Parts: sequence; C-alpha cells; structure tokens
Amino acid sequence: MNITRKKKGMLLASLALLASASLHAYEPENPECIAPADPGGGWDFTCRQVGKNMQDIGAIPGTLQVTNMSGGGGGVAFAAVVNKRRDDNDLIVAASSATATRLAQGAYPGNDMSQVRWLGSVGADYGIIAVAKDSPVQTLSDLLEQMKSDPRSVAIGGGSAVGGWDHLKVLLVANKAGIEDVRTIKYVAFDGGGEAITQVLGGALQAYTGDASEAKGFVDSGDIRIIAVLAPERLDGAFSDFPTATEQGIDVIGANWRGFYAPGNMSDEAYDYWVETIGKVYASDEWKQSMADSGLAPLDLQGPEFEAFVADSVASITELSRQIGLIK
Amino acid sequence: MSDRIFGGIGLLFALLFIWAAFHIELSFISDPVGPRTFPIIVAIVMALASVVIIIKPDVKPQWPRAARLLEIAIAAGVMVAYALALPEVGFLIATAVASAFLTWRLGTAPLWALVSGALTSIGIYTVFHLILGLSLARGPFGF
Amino acid sequence: MESLNSLLNGFAVALTWQHVFLALMGCFLGTIIGALPGLGPSNGVAILIPLAFTLGLEPTAAMILLTSVYYGAMYGGRISSILLNIPGDEPALMTTLDGYPMAQQGRAGEALSLSGVASFVGAFFATWGLVFLAPQLVKVALLFGPAEYFALFTLAFATLGGITSKNQAKAAFAAALGIMIAMVGVDGQTGVPRFAFGEVHLYDGIDFLVAIVGLFALSEVFLFLEHRGDGTGEGKSASVGIGRITPSWKLLKYCTPTMLRTSVIGFIAGVLPGAGASLGSFISYSLEKKMVDKEGTFGTGDPRGVAAPEAGNNAAAGGALVPMLALGVPGSGTTAVLLAMLLALNITPGPLLFISNPDVVWGLIAALFLGNFMLLAMNIPMVGMFVRVLLIPPRILMPIVAMISFVGIYGISGSTFDLMVMIVFGLLGWVLRKLDVPLVPVILGILLGNNMEDNLRRAMTISDGDWSVLLGSPLAIGLWLVSIIGFVLPILLGGLIRRRMRMRRDEVGAVQD
Repeated sequence: MNITRKKKGMLLASLALLASASLHAYEPENPECIAPADPGGGWDFTCRQVGKNMQDIGAIPGTLQVTNMSGGGGGVAFAAVVNKRRDDNDLIVAASSATATRLAQGAYPGNDMSQVRWLGSVGADYGIIAVAKDSPVQTLSDLLEQMKSDPRSVAIGGGSAVGGWDHLKVLLVANKAGIEDVRTIKYVAFDGGGEAITQVLGGALQAYTGDASEAKGFVDSGDIRIIAVLAPERLDGAFSDFPTATEQGIDVIGANWRGFYAPGNMSDEAYDYWVETIGKVYASDEWKQSMADSGLAPLDLQGPEFEAFVADSVASITELSRQIGLIK
Repeated sequence: MSDRIFGGIGLLFALLFIWAAFHIELSFISDPVGPRTFPIIVAIVMALASVVIIIKPDVKPQWPRAARLLEIAIAAGVMVAYALALPEVGFLIATAVASAFLTWRLGTAPLWALVSGALTSIGIYTVFHLILGLSLARGPFGF
Repeated sequence: MESLNSLLNGFAVALTWQHVFLALMGCFLGTIIGALPGLGPSNGVAILIPLAFTLGLEPTAAMILLTSVYYGAMYGGRISSILLNIPGDEPALMTTLDGYPMAQQGRAGEALSLSGVASFVGAFFATWGLVFLAPQLVKVALLFGPAEYFALFTLAFATLGGITSKNQAKAAFAAALGIMIAMVGVDGQTGVPRFAFGEVHLYDGIDFLVAIVGLFALSEVFLFLEHRGDGTGEGKSASVGIGRITPSWKLLKYCTPTMLRTSVIGFIAGVLPGAGASLGSFISYSLEKKMVDKEGTFGTGDPRGVAAPEAGNNAAAGGALVPMLALGVPGSGTTAVLLAMLLALNITPGPLLFISNPDVVWGLIAALFLGNFMLLAMNIPMVGMFVRVLLIPPRILMPIVAMISFVGIYGISGSTFDLMVMIVFGLLGWVLRKLDVPLVPVILGILLGNNMEDNLRRAMTISDGDWSVLLGSPLAIGLWLVSIIGFVLPILLGGLIRRRMRMRRDEVGAVQD
C-alpha cells in the first residue's frame, strides 16, 4: 500500500517534471528579487509590485522572494551580484535610471553595465518641470529666459542629489536652450520629490524638477502647474493638458525607466525565461492598470533591445556628465 | 587620567577629521557652503570639548583587569566570526553556536549553554522568519 | 462639525469585524516589533507590507493594518528602553533616560504602565489634531523653509546642555561625534563621497539603527561580560524589581500637565515634514525638563521624564500623518513607507486625498482611535507579562538580546558589513560608557546631523551665500531666540541649580543615613 502510493507519487512528480520541462527549458526553484535599497523605496516597490503581479498571473511558480540589499545607491547590490552571485539563475535585480546614472558616473567603483545581463523594462516615469500655481512663469521659455537673464533668481528643487537624475534633467533642458555654463543654475537637493514640492508651495523655491508620478497629487489639486513634460508626446489623463518640452522647441526627453537586470553568467535558458516572464507581466491587464494608477508611462523593451537602450542611456549620461564637468 | 587620555584621543580625532575634510574632493558644481564647511565646524566643537575634558577631567573610571579585557575582546571576536559565518553556514547553526558561546561566557554551565543557544536560535528563527517573514541568512541546508 | 460627521462615517467604515481584527493584529505585532531592538516602526511596517498583499486586502483594510502596526511600534519601543536600557526604536531613545533608572529602583511596572498611558494621551490628542487641524496645519508646515528647519535643529542641539550628562563638555563631545558619524557617505548636496575612504558600503552613510543597536545593546553585553560574577556591575534582574504594575492616580495626576504639554509639542514636531518623531520626543523631553525640573531629578528616574518623551513621540507619530495624508510628503521613515504603500494601492495622497478618498482617510483616522484604545487596553495588562523579561537571568537574556540585534539588522539590510559596523559601535559604546560619556547625544547627532547640514546648505544656496537668510523670517528669529534662551539660561542659572541640587542630595543622603 505504502509502496504503491509512493510509486504513484513519484510517477506523478516525474510526469509533472516532464510536463514543465516541455513547456520551459528552465524554471526557477527559488525565484528572488533583490531590491538594492531599504524597504519602502522605488526599487523595493518595483520588486514587490512586479513580484505580486508575476504571482497573480501565474508566471512563476510560487512567490518571488524580495531581498533588500541597501548601500552605495545600489552599488552594494551591484557588486554582490557581480562578485558573489554571478551564476545565480533564480535572481533578478530591480534597476532604474538612477542605476544607469550611477554606472555612467562611475559611482559603482570597478563595475560597469556589461557585467550583468539586462532583462527588460516595466515602464517609465517621464520628467516634468513645474512651478507653483500663482507663479508669474507661464511657459518653459519664460523660465529659461529668467534663468538666462538672472540665473541667481531661480532656485530649482528636486529629489535627487546634485548630479542625480532630477538635476540632470534641468541641465539637459538648459543646455538645449543655449545656457552654456550650467554651473550658474541653482539646483537644491531634497530627500525626495515631495519635500521639494512643499518648498515650491512655501515659496522658498521657484521651480520643481521631478517625475510625473511624484507630482500627481499636487497636479490633480492644482497646487502646482507643469510647464514642461519631458516626454515624446503628451501624457494621458490629468497630464494631457500640459505641453511637452518638445512642443516648446526644447527637444529633451527625460524618462526615468524601471526595469531589471540579472547576474552576468545567468544561463541563456534562464535569461530567456526571465525576459519572457517580465514581458508577460508587462502585457498583463493588471500591470497596465497599476501603471496607469501610479502615473507610469509605457516603455516596452525586453532582452537585447533593453540592453541596447540601457547602453544608450549610460552613454548619453556619461557624455552629458563629462560635458558639464561632473566627471573627468 | 583616563579622561585626559580620552580628551587627547578626541582632540587627535577631531584634527584628523578636519584634515580629512580638507581632502574631500570638490565637485565641479558646488553650493556656497560646500561639503567641507559643516564637518569642520563640528570637528572644531569636538576639539573644544576635548580640550575642556583634558583641563577638567572627571574621576577615573574602574577599568577591568586584563583577563576581563581579553574576555571582551574574545566576545567581540566571536561576534565578528558570527557575522562572517552567517551567509556561509546559515542562520540557525551560526546563531546557536554564537549564543551558546556568549551565554557560556556569561556563566551558564557548558551543557546548558548549548541547550540555551539552540533554543535561542530556534526561537528567533520562529519569530523573525516564520512569523514576520524576514529573509534571514540561508545556509547550505536551507536554514 | 463637518469633520465630526466625516469621522462618524469613518467609524462606520472601520467598525467591521475584519477591520477590527486587523487593527488588533496590527497593534499586537507592532508592539512586539517596536520592543525588539533593531526593528523599528519603519522596518516593521515595511516587512508587513507583503502580508497585506498576501492577504489580498483592499486599500482601507491594508492601511488600517499598517497604521496599527505603526502606532503599536511607537508604543512598543518604550518596553526595551525601560526594561533593558536599550531603545527598541529611535523615538524611544529619550525614554531610557528616566525609564531605566525607574526600573532599577524597582518601579519597572509603574514606568511601563505610566508610559503606556502617556503614549495613549499623546496619540489620542494627535489623532484629534488630525481630525480638526490637518488642513490648517499644512499651512504651518509650508512656513518652514530650509532656514527655519536649520533653526529648529539648532534649537534641538542647543537645549541639549545638561540633559543627558552632568559634564557639559562630554555631552557636546558626544553630539559632535554623532554629527561627524552622520557626515560619512555621499554628500546629498554635491554628490561627492565624504569620509568613506572609497568603501562602497559607506556611500549611503551609517544607518542609525546599526548605531543604536551597537551603542546600546551590544555595549550592554560587553558591560555585562565585564562585571560577570562580581556583583558590582549594572547587572539587571537581581537588583531590578517589578513593583506595582499600575500607576497610582496620584502619579497620573502628577504627570498629567507634562503629558498635555508634551503632546502639543510632539504633535507640532510631527507635522513638520523635516522633523519627525525622534525630534518630537527629544524636544518634548528637553523643554519639559527646562520647564519643570527644578530639583534636578530628571535623568534619575523621574516619572515625568518617562511621561514626557512617550507622550511626545506618540503625538509626533500622529502628527506625521498630517503631511503624509494632506501633502503626500512623508515626515519620517515610517510615513515614507506608508506613503509608498498608498501609492501601491493606487491611492494618490496629496491635497485632494480628503476629498477624493474620504473613506480611506476617515476610516483610517477612526481606526487610529480604535487602535489607540486597543493598545491601551492591551498594554496595561501586558505590563505584567513584559516585566517577567527581567526574571530571565541576564546570562541567558543578554545573548538573546545580542542575537536579536544581529538578526534585526541583518534581516533588513542583508549586509555583513553592517554587522561589523555594529560590533565596532558596540565596543565604542562600552568605552564611552566607561568614561561616562552619554550615548543619547551621539544618536541624536547621527539622526539629525544630515538634516541640519542639508537645510543650512539649502538655505545658503537659495540665498546665494548670504548668511542673513538664516534670520530671514519672524519664525526663524523666534526659533533662534528659543535656542539662545535654552542655551544661555542653563549656563546662567547652572550654578544656582547645581547648588540647590547639592543641598537636596545632602538632605536625601541624610535621610538615608
């Protein structure tokens, strides 16, 4: 009795194994997502939300275990993946424009983007430049004019450090508008976009640079007015009233993408599996809904395409940082 | 005397800190205050406090005998070993060994120390991993 | 009246079996998380987010669970502060100052229950503040620009004198050390690494939890090792009695003015997005000491010294929800996590939240009231249970404390490096304790140092290097005046008070003899 049951079980198990093997060449045993920051940040939520979605649509067996590995603005996790877990097939790591920016500026000492495999993106958050609702500044060119004629009268705040993505976006715009010495631009760094917006409302700052999703609550309430969206086309929903920078003659696109990378020696089967899984998440209606709700815009790049995209953005940030003297 | 030595070390540390602050590499773009000023101000405060401590020391604390100092050093060493061993041998084993050692050194009989170490380890594992769902170090045996 | 109506609707939302059960569970888990050193409210909320997802909770239910955890952790932090002299989380730091001396005098039960009541008072008033004052308070938050924040942080450090140590020089040394530790890492204003020596792990700076756990918990283990068996040490259980486990009415009445005052101060500190609960409990304690401590009993087990920071930090926790809900700006690590959670649940906090999602907001506020009563009801009877921790022999308890500290840090950051830093802090804490250097200012320096510097530099950037901006508004001038009074008065009156203290101590000594 016992033996037969055992045999039956084994048979079933091997059948199941066979079945899954025929579907996928590879299936993760302990799928894991590293969020290279403490719980609560953007990377953490990329892991958790995508993980929840993968589980809901049954794209992975079981749950995606989220591990937080903070330090060095993602550098600790990057180094750990490169050095210690380079052969791990079950591992993906959350990344964003901040990762590309730091790679480009050499902020992960001894590491570069070719040491890992880039899987795919799950959306992008376009940059915006906004002013308080009662500001005399009406358009992007108003602001740029003021910055040109009296650069010290305009203080712009954002949620990233100097040289970070929120800062670079303003510099890109200023550069395009013909401001040669970007050092004259007064950028004030805050711990997160929300704090900077409060200071715009309180009158300490004249303008805000950040991501569309960060500003959503204040845009809905009309407390701040967006003067430029750094997207190729106008955004949907509440944001559709606001012009892009391109419309105003400043051809700058600033997308804060979110995506994943994987260890450098991940097998091709595993790589394909994860690329496909992230693609499935992206295509699901549930994900479309959460993108719409959190103000993320579409950015659908997988596998080699994504790899090329990241390489591009690293190259252009390196170029810009060198141009303005952030790196040598 | 202890306080005087402490004040001296504090003063030295503050001066080193100021020296290190002057060697902070400045970025191309900088704010009016810059990254050096504030640390230097704080280090000056520490230097002043150290001077006051040197001039007006408190009564000497009771330092332990050399054997006890060694004991503390060994305990710190065990903690370092524990930190290094965690990712290698996994949470349960490392924790059981380390806490058994500590409780033994604090005066528990060796056998009971092992029991207490094992129970501590399992108890913490239950609360933190099984109930709160924190990912603890996973060793070769999966725990 | 409109607010009251909305609140009633909120209660209708909150009072379902599921929500009540979740609030109960959240309060309980939160208390435990708060009491465990190394796990604070922000980590507690963060690690329970997956639970909320797994249970498939809708937004209101998830927020009720998580804010209950938040309030629970604020209650729980005091437990290890009082019993073990180890702050369970950063806002409970100040509670060690008088809570642990009370426990040493055999009044652990009283200290725990009194602080439970104080927590309740603080949280209760803060929740009412949230109901009636949220929209107005948001305007207050907008008055605080970088210059005002800088003045506020200066005030915190200026009033430090004499609070944590008899030796002012050592307190100043400790605060400076803390701020210097905070300087380690990438400079937020210019992006250059400072004092990191090329070590990637140091680029994000040193986590204050690592420092707290090392300085307080591990140094306690070392101290115990040192004094093992000789009976002279700061050994715990043998000398620490439990005492009565409910506070007397007389004691409560005695502490009521303190609780009310500090609730107000804590709440205001909580509302300011750049300040937070730690600053709330700290300023509550120091101002209260300045105001009522005529005999110099604060720091030696004065019940008011337990009531003040607990009422203050719980009020600040409630206050911190104001900018989070009404502005979408988190005032603390925990509210940052809650905010991210709201976003994940597809709710955009901000000026419109009260209008667009009234059920979430008012349900949440009602749940806070509910949770607050639950916590009080839970915490007073549980005092008897908590104090039994002290019956565990220290030779077993201390290793458990050490291991929990390690796990708390490792489980959150997954970093061996952090553990090493923690051990260094443990040794440092031991040396500093031997030399009678207070540890509280070190932690305050680590917690507030960066904020202080950043705000100074933001103000200076905006003004193009014109220092007069620091006195640019009546509010800033007012804060500077308070800090100057707080700094100068003790020096002027110091001699007088010290003389009176000496006289008093002689009297007490005479009685004991």
